[in-house]
Amino acid sequence: MVDPDNQTSHLVAPVLEQLERGSGPFSSLIQQLTQIVGKNSLLYDADELLVYECDGYIVDKSAPDIVVFPTSTEQVSSIVKICNQFNVPFLARGAGTSLSGGCLPIGGGVMIVLTRMKQILEINLRDRYAVVEPGMVNLHLTNALKGTGYHYAPDPSSQGSCTIGGNIATNSGGPHTLKYGVTTNHVLGLEAVLPNGSVINLGGPTAETPGYDLHGVYVGNEGTFGICTKAIVRLTRDPEAHRTMLAVFQTISDATRAISEIIAAGIIPSALEMMDQGIIQAIEEAFHFGFPLDAGAVLLIEVDGLEIALDEEARRIVEICNAHNVREIQRADTPEERLLIWKSRKQAFGAIGRLSPSYCTQDGVVPRTRLPEILEFIEATSQKYGMRIVNVFHAGDGNVHPILLFDERDQNQIQQVMEASEEILSKCLELGGSVTGEHGIGVEKINFMSRIFNETDLSQMEKVRNIFNPRQICSRDKVLPPHGEKSQAAVTLSHPGRRAPH
Amino acid sequence: MEKNRRQQSLYHTLVDGLRTDQQLLLMSQQDMLLLCSQPIERPLMTLTHSGTPEDFVPTSQSELSRFLSDNATSARKQTFPVGGRTSLAVCCPDSHSGPLICTSQLNRVVDYPVRDMTITVEAGMRLNQLNEIISAEGQRLPIDVPQSNRATIGGVIATNTSGPRRFSYGTIRDYVIGVSAVDGVGNLFKSGGRVVKNVAGYDLSKMLVGSLGTLSVISQVSLNLRPRPECMQLVWFDFDSCQSVDQALEAIVTSGTRPTAIEYCNSKAARQITAESRIELPNENHAVCICYEGPENVVKWQAQQIIDEWRAFSSLDAQIIEGAQASQLYNALTEYQTSSDDPVTLKAVVLPSQMMSFIETATSLNIAVQAHAADGIVFGHLPDSASSLENVNQILEQLQSVIDPGTGYLTIYQCESDWAESLPLFCSPPAGWELMQQLKQALDPLQLLNSRRFTELVKS
Repeated sequence: MVDPDNQTSHLVAPVLEQLERGSGPFSSLIQQLTQIVGKNSLLYDADELLVYECDGYIVDKSAPDIVVFPTSTEQVSSIVKICNQFNVPFLARGAGTSLSGGCLPIGGGVMIVLTRMKQILEINLRDRYAVVEPGMVNLHLTNALKGTGYHYAPDPSSQGSCTIGGNIATNSGGPHTLKYGVTTNHVLGLEAVLPNGSVINLGGPTAETPGYDLHGVYVGNEGTFGICTKAIVRLTRDPEAHRTMLAVFQTISDATRAISEIIAAGIIPSALEMMDQGIIQAIEEAFHFGFPLDAGAVLLIEVDGLEIALDEEARRIVEICNAHNVREIQRADTPEERLLIWKSRKQAFGAIGRLSPSYCTQDGVVPRTRLPEILEFIEATSQKYGMRIVNVFHAGDGNVHPILLFDERDQNQIQQVMEASEEILSKCLELGGSVTGEHGIGVEKINFMSRIFNETDLSQMEKVRNIFNPRQICSRDKVLPPHGEKSQAAVTLSHPGRRAPH
Repeated sequence: MEKNRRQQSLYHTLVDGLRTDQQLLLMSQQDMLLLCSQPIERPLMTLTHSGTPEDFVPTSQSELSRFLSDNATSARKQTFPVGGRTSLAVCCPDSHSGPLICTSQLNRVVDYPVRDMTITVEAGMRLNQLNEIISAEGQRLPIDVPQSNRATIGGVIATNTSGPRRFSYGTIRDYVIGVSAVDGVGNLFKSGGRVVKNVAGYDLSKMLVGSLGTLSVISQVSLNLRPRPECMQLVWFDFDSCQSVDQALEAIVTSGTRPTAIEYCNSKAARQITAESRIELPNENHAVCICYEGPENVVKWQAQQIIDEWRAFSSLDAQIIEGAQASQLYNALTEYQTSSDDPVTLKAVVLPSQMMSFIETATSLNIAVQAHAADGIVFGHLPDSASSLENVNQILEQLQSVIDPGTGYLTIYQCESDWAESLPLFCSPPAGWELMQQLKQALDPLQLLNSRRFTELVKS
């Protein structure tokens, strides 16, 4: 599978010959798309297309042939119908923050970039929903809600740049998943352009709608069911107050046991983020927060809710940490101190650059109680390959993000990162977990699908995809292992990912 | 009416005393005829089928798969998955012209890693059994299920059953993290897994939630659990008009409290619910019952706080209900949505801001109304006086006229078996109806699973 000698992409073979530049059909396609969006909303110059040859998953690249920037559902529908007419594959893209190649235009085609569809169409506090266009940046919605007492709960770490449409495609999570759930728990309905160009509404602003929960099935489709053009999302009350703590542990196992005990005690923190010794040292070297360099792990623990409830919750958390040999607990007494504690977590990835020229972040999940085992395995893998691996992750829901440090100029190290990643993710499966908690399958993990699911499972998923996307003209070769040798080769990984921070 | 209640009570006593649906089937052939010799209402709808030798009670997923596969390749009989048979009348009762598939023997715990707060169980496990197991560990599945001593977890998922707590805890779709099921031609498949965070593959569990057993027979589920709260209190308010209720509900948007549930009852429903709970409470006007759960001091603080906040909207003193009485009243609120003796139960889903105008019309038509008020979900029990189809259709027309067709839905939730053929379940096909038909075709190409129930969804 791995071809270290060939670092060029496997994903460049043109899918459709008629898209050849300069050909009649190509010119005709350009002309028709221009009529829909105007000449300033369309790119087809090879240099300009390079910007769109990958998303946050930068391993393999494949430039689209044309990029269009629609501003309305009607335009998206017309573009899709034109693509069908020319038998040209197409796919949607938001901010391009996908970490698994979900926006990779395999074999080229038309890329429909939705960043100009970024309006808030309605905010209805009484009925607790908002209607937004798919290109709306996640954080911009919460910013627009400031002062209303409500917010949009799903908050991926990339929320300052990622879009709501992209969040729906990947069913994004984030640090607050443990208490508030992931995107699918907050989407009430949506409008989508199906791969044949028809416009469909699924779900709606009411608490439930009759028939099958198609919008529930749609969330997490990774762009393979069509193009979301409008989303109706649930709004959540702001917590009245927070208590934020930083607990320093001697060992990782003490920290993970404390996590388990906190939740078992009936406390669901709004965040439970863990940083191991490797990342603590990197952060300390870079930012001087005052972390002890010999600490095994640091936990960022935050509880939120009614002011009257929080002191008791915080007291019980301290008690539990004490029972698990915590060395010290710092508590934020002011909003400034809270921000400082969060800064240590959020700048963790920024510190990695001081450790290594390249890094690869994985996205495994294990049952929460198996965290000590997977962390031990990661450590053993680190030693086996003589490769440094550091950990910073959402511990409350067992979603680990081991960061494999390497030098991409060394071919041997590249091969080792590929193998080590494979071993870690396989161990996650062995422990009853999954290979992705929030980044998605995309093209990156497509080869794991047949290990997680049997043929019947995959066949059922394929049936459902084919209802939405029968010709597979929309975002082809994603999520499900494609049939045929040529397609399989198209998703063979050649290089580890140097992922964006999460 | 009283006779009817006695018969229902007898029926429940008998059913509760039985250990398995298999035994229920055996019994139904001999004794149920006697029991049901006089017409009774809702329970009859759950007993229209007498057990036959054709009925199938799988003891494993592979047995279930083999049965459906064999059926698809040979007899091709219509089959009808059933769990606790508490919701057979929901969204179109069927005449059961083929074998039942009873999940009662699929009732084992597959895996319960307590500290992970997840559990995997077979789909035929009854809710009270599940609750017993997890409550022993201080955990719960915060989904309110009427008749939980009979309802199964597979049935709860298939019917998307929920109750008052959905306001703060969501519905069963928010707790299913993995599912196994067998489709109409015998394919046993799974989706999701056993970890709370997982985006590998499409979330097929969502399509099964609320699918009424028309896409596949759910055989095993993995659930995310929550901690049990320390304490619960209810606050019962009495309002003199729909307008003042509406103002109070609007104010909840900025309340300093975080209610777990907000239930509305008009006077007719309030009288029945308070009688059932055996608690003396004001029930002659419009009642709103707010539920708080959590640590005791926090719950008490919130109960007092909402009384202070709502003093401007309700002239009468609010009452705080706690301890055993709180459980009694909460149970009565949970059971009421399906426990009426009335001939038709309606379910309307509207925006919360439009709910009280709908309720005002329903109340004027002498309908007993209970609503999950902050979610805009209204259950209406039609009176005995609406004892003809013509009357029911007239009432439906009047109610439909006050629902915004763009956002609201009015459905026949359950009704007399004889009327199911004639009443419009939905006034128009739901959004995405064409895709739904294709989904049905893909998972059940021979239309062998509850197929009438599905097509009846758009009967008009």
